[in-house]
Amino acid sequence: ETLSVVGSWSGLPLHKEYEAPFWSETLPAASGGKIEVELTTHNQMNLGLGDIYPLLGQGVYDVAMTVGDYAVSDAPELEGLDVPMIATDAATARKAVEAARPMVDEIFAERFNSKVLAIAPYPPQVVFCNAEIASLDDLAGKKVRASGRMTAKFLEALGAEGVNVSFSEVPGALQKGVVDCAVTGAGSGYSAGWWEVSTHLLPIPLGGWDPVVTAMNMDKWNGLDADTQALIQSELATKFEAPAWDTAQGALANDIGCLTGQGDCTSGDKRSMTLVEASDADIAKATEILTSEVLPDWAERAGGDWKDRWNASVGAAVGVTIE
Amino acid sequence: MADQFIDRLRTLNRYVAYAVGVLLLACAAFVLADIVLRQLGSSFGGTDEISGYVMAIATSWGMAYALLELGHVRIDLIRSKVAAKGRAMFDLLSMTVMSATIVLIAVKCWPVVARSIKNSSTANTPLETPLVWVQAPWFAGWVWFALMSCLLTLAALVLVVQGKLAESERRIGAFGEQDLL
Amino acid sequence: MIAYIAAGLLGLLALSIPVGIVLFLLGFGVDQFFSSFPLIRGLGNMVWSSSNSSTLIAIPFFVLLGEILVRSGVAARTYAALDKWVSWMPGGLVHANVATATMFSATSGSSVATAATVATVAMPQAEKLGYDPKLFSGAIAAGGTLGIMIPPSINLIVYGFLTQSSIPQLFLAGLIPGLGLAFAFLVVTAAICVVRPELGGERRVFPLSEMMGALAHLIPIILLFTVIIGSIYKGWATPTEAASVGVAGALVIAAVFGGVSVAMMGEAILGTVKVTCMIMLIVIGASFLNFTLASAGLGRELEAFLGGLGLTPLSTILVIVLMYIVLGFFIETLSLMVVTIPIVVPLVVELGYDPIWFGILMIVLIEMALITPPVGLNLYVVQGARKSGHLNEVMVGAIPYVLVMLAMAIALIAFPSIALFLPEALS
Ligand code: NA
Ligand code: NA
Repeated sequence: ETLSVVGSWSGLPLHKEYEAPFWSETLPAASGGKIEVELTTHNQMNLGLGDIYPLLGQGVYDVAMTVGDYAVSDAPELEGLDVPMIATDAATARKAVEAARPMVDEIFAERFNSKVLAIAPYPPQVVFCNAEIASLDDLAGKKVRASGRMTAKFLEALGAEGVNVSFSEVPGALQKGVVDCAVTGAGSGYSAGWWEVSTHLLPIPLGGWDPVVTAMNMDKWNGLDADTQALIQSELATKFEAPAWDTAQGALANDIGCLTGQGDCTSGDKRSMTLVEASDADIAKATEILTSEVLPDWAERAGGDWKDRWNASVGAAVGVTIE
Repeated sequence: MADQFIDRLRTLNRYVAYAVGVLLLACAAFVLADIVLRQLGSSFGGTDEISGYVMAIATSWGMAYALLELGHVRIDLIRSKVAAKGRAMFDLLSMTVMSATIVLIAVKCWPVVARSIKNSSTANTPLETPLVWVQAPWFAGWVWFALMSCLLTLAALVLVVQGKLAESERRIGAFGEQDLL
Repeated sequence: MIAYIAAGLLGLLALSIPVGIVLFLLGFGVDQFFSSFPLIRGLGNMVWSSSNSSTLIAIPFFVLLGEILVRSGVAARTYAALDKWVSWMPGGLVHANVATATMFSATSGSSVATAATVATVAMPQAEKLGYDPKLFSGAIAAGGTLGIMIPPSINLIVYGFLTQSSIPQLFLAGLIPGLGLAFAFLVVTAAICVVRPELGGERRVFPLSEMMGALAHLIPIILLFTVIIGSIYKGWATPTEAASVGVAGALVIAAVFGGVSVAMMGEAILGTVKVTCMIMLIVIGASFLNFTLASAGLGRELEAFLGGLGLTPLSTILVIVLMYIVLGFFIETLSLMVVTIPIVVPLVVELGYDPIWFGILMIVLIEMALITPPVGLNLYVVQGARKSGHLNEVMVGAIPYVLVMLAMAIALIAFPSIALFLPEALS
């Protein structure tokens, strides 16, 4: 059995450390050579981000993994998988994703003719500012670079102005004041040198955790025998999903250490950004904006009974209720 | 007859090209206005998203004009070495293959629009642009290109059958009119 | 698979099927013979996502900018002014071609647009003054390629976009190699014309007063360059948005220094749509071919090939350079970049090379591809602007400049700071 697998961003640690070894070595070995894998990534194929899952559903490849949020054009209800600010640590984020799993399974089956196999996190999308900030409230009136619809709406509700700048131009934009703040993974910001051009780090998941969904074409999945299905699922759960989640919190702490000099740093030299600790007031403020504006807005976009289902699952897991 | 028909297609597509150009100019003005607004501390937001849509639509609708003006690059190393009859065969083959390809592209563009209709897809941006609004005109442009390409091929075939090789070369040859003078 | 692509490409091109269509056909072939998956189902998505691009909209804007400068007479006056300054050298007016191309490169992001602009204003002169058509048109084709090296540059924007590297940094890095190439073109032209005086035209020395007077005609282009590049480095506009700043600037300059009319704008629009769609059919075809190749495992095949050679980093770079030169004969340049960057650049970075430096090296090789037959867009653009003569003459005339580019590529490998000096000094 040869599987054609399309991985997520080839340059990021999730692909290099987990996806690539799992699909090219772990799984073929565990299957005793029964499963062979041809691995590429969506950026190497130059796929449109919104096309990755729809093409999976049409059987253009067997397995695809990418940020669930990229597919919300075709499935607005999927935005509920990755809500900014509701999970401030990896354990909570994992709980939220597990609570959302049945909904995600259903969305992928219906919208993309695909079987969800695993959901793993990217590092949380935190805030780099080249401006004095002490709390979430201080983002009001600032120009902020972020991506994704729900994050943009959250910033809008906060009184910040969303600015579109591509990732590679962020350092220049921060330096020249084109943007005051920018959102990305702490590790990406560290390796791209954002600490050179920004002063304050607010390590809260303003852009959410960008969960990466691994899914298989449904026809392909149904064509596999039960043993193979079980093998793939158990291998993914124990040797891909679990380690990716287990190291997420540590990686965040390490990246914050590297950027601020407070704490350990194993990835390189320590830098000295000012660490802005999120206070309870910040979280309360975020929850207030989410429940009063951003999430009701989403519930309307998603339609159906998604609001109730979200409240009963993800909402219950993190203690947030959409009115 | 056939040559007059092709001339009509040319005139028609020149107007289409004017429209495409005006669309591009409007887009440039819009981007420029946003740059100025940003200096004043405000912004339309979403100019890059809209430029993308403009590019897709302008491209698909301008293709037929480029075809009729012999703008699509061809390599004529061998073609230029053979007699007029041979050149006509090269041109007809090229046009036939091109038409078939463009028809296939137009057909395969439909599922993209169909998916947006089925899912009521909206862009993953604050603008939430309903994708069918921009994909429908884009798709129509490719259908137009396919149609023009097929009509041109048929008309040129008539010219060749009638033995009007010079006429045919002028319409589906390798270089535009001004280049041959 | 690589052999199939090369053979198929040559065969189909020989049949004089349009280049863009050939790329689609090869994609269909890869789908049919090298993949067990229905890749053709992705065709519509690739057509949509490769043309729905706010980056690529810079192409029509830069082409339009050039059209406006030509049709308002600004381009012709720039050419005449530069003629007064450089035609004293052996080779005469040929130097004006290079100088004008360099000047327009600083306002245009596209090599095709630059070559088209210069060819339109220069060609009538060549015939009038009796120059050797080979060297004269070869210099335009080669000079035009500077359009993508000297900032702004669509190809560097695309490179930055695909490799996630900073576009303003790339622009800075391209400046010295770009000007270096321009200077080397002048030197080589002079050297050729010293050895073979019959190739150049008459050397003409103009009185100093006339030379100074001509400077005024360079003001529009210098202004335009300042506005475009200034808007990027001031942080007012992104590199892509700067193209629309350029269009507005060109309109204002045309209105002040030349003339803008509805008829002229109509012509400019038609020219823009024709060139843009010619380029875009090729870009879209290349995206689809790239998609099928990546799905069918070209990346693995290339990696295995390069890995299997067991080379040192330097030899790997040399193999890559050689690969680009060979592919550059046959593949259109933007497609060549889009197809190879996701495979080659990660490999190069892993070897410890700077992606900004490699971007510039790649641009030199891409410039070379623009003027090497059989697929060399600039050769066709220049030939298109000529009133007589065969394409072969342009090809032969471009050869000396191809060698200069090769020398520049070697220099960049030996001395990376040619590219990296400016971005490092200014950041
Ligand atoms: Na340029
Ligand atoms: Na070439």
